[in-house]
Amino acid sequence: MHEPGKKKVDGWFALGLLLTALFLVFVLYPLLLILYKSVLDPASGGTTTANFVKFFSRKYYWITLWNSVKVTTCSTFIAVLLGLPMAYVLRNVKIRGLSVINILIVISYLSPPFIGAYAWVQMLGRNGLITNIFNKLFGIQFAGIYGFAGIVLVFSLQSFPLVYMYVSGALKNLDNSLNEAARSLGCSTFQSVWRVVTPLILPTLLASALLVFMRVFSDFGTPMLIGEGYRTFPVLIYTQFMGEVSTDSHFAAALCVIVIGITLALFFLQGLLARRWSYSMSALRPMEAKKYSGLSNFLAHLFVLSVVALAIIPQCTVIFSSFLETKGGHVYTGNFSLENYANTLLAKDNNAIVNTYLFGVAAIALVVVMGVLISYLSTRKKSPLTATLDTMTMMPYIIPGSVLGISFLYAFNAPPLILANTPLIMIIALSLRRMPYTIRSSTAIISQISPSIEEAAISFGASERTTFLKITLPMMLPGVLAGAIMSWITIISELSSSIILYTSRTRTLTVAIYAEVIRSNFGNAAAYSTVLTVTSVLSLLLFYKLSGKREISI
Amino acid sequence: MSVTIDIDNVVKKYGDLTVVNGLSLKVDPGEFFTLLGPSGCGKTTLLRMIIGFNSIEAGEIRVDGRVVNDVPTDKRNMGMVFQNYAIFPHMTVYENVAFGLKMRKLSNAEIAPRVAEILELVKIDALRDRKPTELSGGQQQRVALARAIVIQPEVLLMDEPLSNLDAKLRVEMRNVIKNIQHKLGITTVYVTHDQEEALAVSDRLAVMNAGVIQQIDTPQRVYQRPANLFVSTFIGLSNVLNGKITGDGKGVDFGGYMVEMDNLNELAKPNAPVLVSVRPEEFVIDRAAGEGLKAVVKNRVFLGSTIHYFLEMGDKELEVIDRADNLEMIPAGAQVTLTAKANKINVFDESGGRSLIAAERTQ
Ligand SMILES: Nc1ncnc2c1ncn2[C@@H]1O[C@H](COP(=O)(O)OP(=O)(O)O)[C@@H](O)[C@H]1O
Ligand SMILES: [Mg+2]
Repeated sequence: MHEPGKKKVDGWFALGLLLTALFLVFVLYPLLLILYKSVLDPASGGTTTANFVKFFSRKYYWITLWNSVKVTTCSTFIAVLLGLPMAYVLRNVKIRGLSVINILIVISYLSPPFIGAYAWVQMLGRNGLITNIFNKLFGIQFAGIYGFAGIVLVFSLQSFPLVYMYVSGALKNLDNSLNEAARSLGCSTFQSVWRVVTPLILPTLLASALLVFMRVFSDFGTPMLIGEGYRTFPVLIYTQFMGEVSTDSHFAAALCVIVIGITLALFFLQGLLARRWSYSMSALRPMEAKKYSGLSNFLAHLFVLSVVALAIIPQCTVIFSSFLETKGGHVYTGNFSLENYANTLLAKDNNAIVNTYLFGVAAIALVVVMGVLISYLSTRKKSPLTATLDTMTMMPYIIPGSVLGISFLYAFNAPPLILANTPLIMIIALSLRRMPYTIRSSTAIISQISPSIEEAAISFGASERTTFLKITLPMMLPGVLAGAIMSWITIISELSSSIILYTSRTRTLTVAIYAEVIRSNFGNAAAYSTVLTVTSVLSLLLFYKLSGKREISI
Repeated sequence: MSVTIDIDNVVKKYGDLTVVNGLSLKVDPGEFFTLLGPSGCGKTTLLRMIIGFNSIEAGEIRVDGRVVNDVPTDKRNMGMVFQNYAIFPHMTVYENVAFGLKMRKLSNAEIAPRVAEILELVKIDALRDRKPTELSGGQQQRVALARAIVIQPEVLLMDEPLSNLDAKLRVEMRNVIKNIQHKLGITTVYVTHDQEEALAVSDRLAVMNAGVIQQIDTPQRVYQRPANLFVSTFIGLSNVLNGKITGDGKGVDFGGYMVEMDNLNELAKPNAPVLVSVRPEEFVIDRAAGEGLKAVVKNRVFLGSTIHYFLEMGDKELEVIDRADNLEMIPAGAQVTLTAKANKINVFDESGGRSLIAAERTQ
């Protein structure tokens, strides 16, 4: 029994403090350290802007930023040009095999971009399948798609699904009466899409374009594999930090600061635009996919199927080539065999697959528990403390994975906290990167639960803790679990922070694939990739089964 | 200038479900025509066929004699007011109203005065620069109306435009709509499931049930001389009584109480069982014993100008409306005698499907 008047320690407050402390240590501290390092003059111990001057004064360096901007802008633009019509057509026209199409699109999106790069090299590279056929057929000397074109190809095909999924969701909430009103006022179908539908989904389109932009801008695997001489900014960061020649950790830190500055600016810009143009929409009469006939039906099918085929080709190539026999890892003999699987799955000391599953499960557990608690705190226990916490949890959303990895190495490679080279650092990095998404979706779930339900439980004498555990949590659980499966799929496909943090003991599948590709062991890479893809597909099917939904939100 | 609409034997199917099966009606130039019927009877479906959002599986729709079956909506020049208004959320009031004129490639110099005129007509000229989120339901309704009429459509279509408004605004807006329609003389098809609203606004109305038209007539005729039992019970209140035609075929026998009538038609065969519909105000209620139906007052409600009595006659419940003049109210429990006003009541055949009242004799 508590004495009246004496305030007992609020458990939620204590929890909020604990979580805030964790994020201070694992998000804010490493970032501040990077910032500090970027302006630290190691010789004098004072501050300096030399690293930034070095970057912006030498074309060798700043050209990478310009390259990145070009590649990213082009890819984002093409991704929108593919994703937007895909979403509109699939919401409007009855297309056969819609659910299979949706699964294929999601799969193509969930696989790491660099796998696409390496698969396209297999087909359109110097010695690629399609390249060889074309050169023989037409007697030309096509040297394969590398550099700018290759990077853009891979990124566009890899990113349009994100635009597609976002826009498709927005279209579902668009009231078709608006379309009909436009038609009755004299718009052709096309005009009404252009003048009514497009402006209304613009905020969503911008949000998805920003996500694509940030993803593409910070990805380094793809330009590494298909860029050849075309160096992008993430490649520069990676080589400055990890490269064999002349690593300069202070310069690398400065580069990280520049990236964070850019993504941060974009993030705020998008938020600004979205606030200006957000319309709350709810569809009284949503669009209905109608059966078309004749030419329009044919064209719609042709468009959708071509885009899906292009998107899924890399996966198919990889799965197919995983069953091909190779000589020395990269020369195909033309026979089928399971040798690649034997070399990878059965190799001794091979911990990549086990690691992937272990780290994945641990990261998911962490993400789900913390995500639920944090979203509960920031929706139901609003205070300056929870607002701070909420802001910090969003930071990994705009920090590229490689930057997060680098900051972790800076921060946790020395006492008091030595975590470098441990599985724990991988798990923490993986879960932090996913945290913003989980918190957002949990927040959405909580805000659909009326607080009066909790109040009712408390009025019947349940404590706050019991109410949370027995009432709120069970109501959240189905949505949270469905979200957890999606998190799992994205976590096992993560490369950019893992590639910085891994050691030979903590290799994951994506790291192994990347390493095998770099070593031209395409057979092994294909086998690993197939394992990853199969895991993703099975998880996705489980997601569909559990959630009973056909819609995916990433 | 105003157009006719001919709906000729149209059929609408959703997959295997036939919602409208061979429906015909004709809307006169400049007429305010209402489709009235219970929810799900196919009103919206028919309206959307007129404007071209729904395909037509068979039959024809003609506007001024031109078949429009295959004319795309944007070429039909029809204005529509939607149930949820469908105001474009990304445009101001002015831009919403100007939208249709822009689509007609009018110059800004031509658009501005026309929009201004319409905004004034529907009394929202003060709101021209507001965004839709800053408007009340009634104001949004006015924007939707302005947007639909500014394009000078040949036909104006409205699908339950008042259903999202509160009761008071509903009455106000229906007068606005009626007055503006009358002023502009646009041929109008209006959909509602609210019979009072339909009676109030329409020049003529079609009562629909399950995709079939039950009656097309003026509000007064539909109320006073319903074509069948469905119409008489759907529109207004009706006490439905069993009876039979008298032996001479010139009246109705309610089992002892006879009402002599001079307006029965040739379908009324002597001694045939019939259903009689008596509106609450078509009964005369009297405490004195005499010839008539015997009932007991269960309850009564004083409503100022009228008194409503709820009565019991055997196992039947009846409702009677009496003028509240200076006579005292009849207390609950009292025995009363009801007599029917012979020239007002309606008689239907046993199935309720056909009226036995002769067609002429309009007042
Ligand atoms: N798109 C559709 N697909 C299948 N059935 C429909 C569709 N639209 C309406 N219906 C059916 O047609 C019937 C008439 O609907 P509707 O015209 O909307 O009725 P009302 O407007 O009179 O309430 C209803 O039974 C409804 O279920
Ligand atoms: Mg309707």
